[in-house]
Amino acid sequence: MTAIVRIAGVAALVAACATPPKPRELDTYEALRKNANIQEASKKSPSLIAASEKLGERSIEEWQSNDLEESRRDALMAHIKLKTALAVLEQEQLKAKISALSAEQARAQEEYTDLAEKLASETEKLTLVQKNIEVSKAAAADKQRLSQQMTTEVQKAQAEQQRLTLQLASEQKIKAAQLALRTAETVDASKYAKAEYSAANDMLAKADAEMKQNDFAGAQASAEVAKKNADKATEIAKPLYEQAEQTNQNKARDEALSRDAYAISGADVRLERRGDLQRLVIAIPALFSKRQPSIAPGFDTVLTAVAELIKKYPTYPVQIIGYTDNKGKSSELLAISAARAQAVLTALATRGVETRRLMTSGLGADDPRFDNKSVAGRAKNNRVEIVFLYH
Amino acid sequence: MPSRTRRMLLSLLTATTCAAAGGWSLPAHAGEEDDLQSRIETQRSGVADLEKMDDLKSVPDEITLLRAWLDEAWSLRSKHEYDQVREVLDRATAQAELIRAKITASKLRAQAQKHEAAVQELKARIAKTRKALSDTITKKKVLEGSAQ
Repeated sequence: MTAIVRIAGVAALVAACATPPKPRELDTYEALRKNANIQEASKKSPSLIAASEKLGERSIEEWQSNDLEESRRDALMAHIKLKTALAVLEQEQLKAKISALSAEQARAQEEYTDLAEKLASETEKLTLVQKNIEVSKAAAADKQRLSQQMTTEVQKAQAEQQRLTLQLASEQKIKAAQLALRTAETVDASKYAKAEYSAANDMLAKADAEMKQNDFAGAQASAEVAKKNADKATEIAKPLYEQAEQTNQNKARDEALSRDAYAISGADVRLERRGDLQRLVIAIPALFSKRQPSIAPGFDTVLTAVAELIKKYPTYPVQIIGYTDNKGKSSELLAISAARAQAVLTALATRGVETRRLMTSGLGADDPRFDNKSVAGRAKNNRVEIVFLYH
Repeated sequence: MPSRTRRMLLSLLTATTCAAAGGWSLPAHAGEEDDLQSRIETQRSGVADLEKMDDLKSVPDEITLLRAWLDEAWSLRSKHEYDQVREVLDRATAQAELIRAKITASKLRAQAQKHEAAVQELKARIAKTRKALSDTITKKKVLEGSAQ
């Protein structure tokens, strides 16, 4: 038993003399000491590093001396100081880094500002170029549009002008046809050239209808045909109309002459036809005394009236025929009657009648108007007849 | 013999020697305790300041450890383990210094990161702007060419 106690005691002594397990704090410290920045840290914080190393060495000694509590305490302290030194080193490194970063940031900022200015400038230029292109495009488009518009307007104007020209020409043709038709109407073409006049009227109506439908070519053609028809109608109707008109005028004039002649007081007036000729005979009975070639007094009024009548109707040729009764030689009676006609011519000439219109003749006892058996009849046959001749 | 026991024996021996020499008495002992208490309290208030400083929360573990050590110091002071209190307080002082260094480093790191981020952003903007500039110049040339 005593031997066992002794062996146990020796074993305990051996165990007590052996190196104890390294404290965890010392392990941590030693691990930290392997940090690559220790050298740098010792330059920046030499006192801290020195203190740390001193504490670390003492901790190892204390551990090896089995003074574990002291070893742990010193290792912890060494660790703290070492970490502090490293933290200080990190501060310095960070300050340097911040300084470098600040410089880099400033350079970058400067570069960025420069680039931004260049970009703004180029963007402005680009915008100007784009605007220029847009303006150019817009101008080109405007030019094209205006050109097209102008072309269209010109075409429209030309078409309108052409249409107006055609319309005007058509209107002129129609007016010409209308005028030709009116002209035809003045010569009563509807009466004397009925077919042509109707055709002209129809074609003119057709031309009017074609005008309303803007068929100017058709209207022109129709108007031309209408004019031709109207001209032809005029050509046909004119002589007929003029002839009729002349006849009417002559008839009216003859009637007027007749009316005026019948109105002369103291004269015997009669109408008679000999062949184609119409004769208005104004007889002034008892104008002469028997066998006398000169005009008996008291006939100034009737002679003046006859003279005025002749002057009023200047287109009629006038015959002055002297007559006698049947008492006497025929040759004498003819001479007396001729003298009597001449005496009346002279009387009329003194009253302003142109003598070139007057023709005189003496018929003696021919063509008695009254009975020569009676004195009164013979006196009346001593007469002069003033004859207006017409068709 | 454990070191703690050895330290206690050493302290007792020192105190006995001092008392025998007629040097110190109980009032002097009480003054040391007050001094240590004052140091502990000072350090505790320092911990609050450190927490405020650590707005990035970069050293929460270190601060927790420091607070634990100060609690330990307080506990040791209550047990009149003044040497141990001083040891702990020295360690706490070193820890506080470490914490300050780390907080400063952390702030610097954050600042550096901000700078790095700013530089990276600027570089990205530079690259983007450079490309935009190149594109713009190319586009302008093409347009000018087509306009002619």
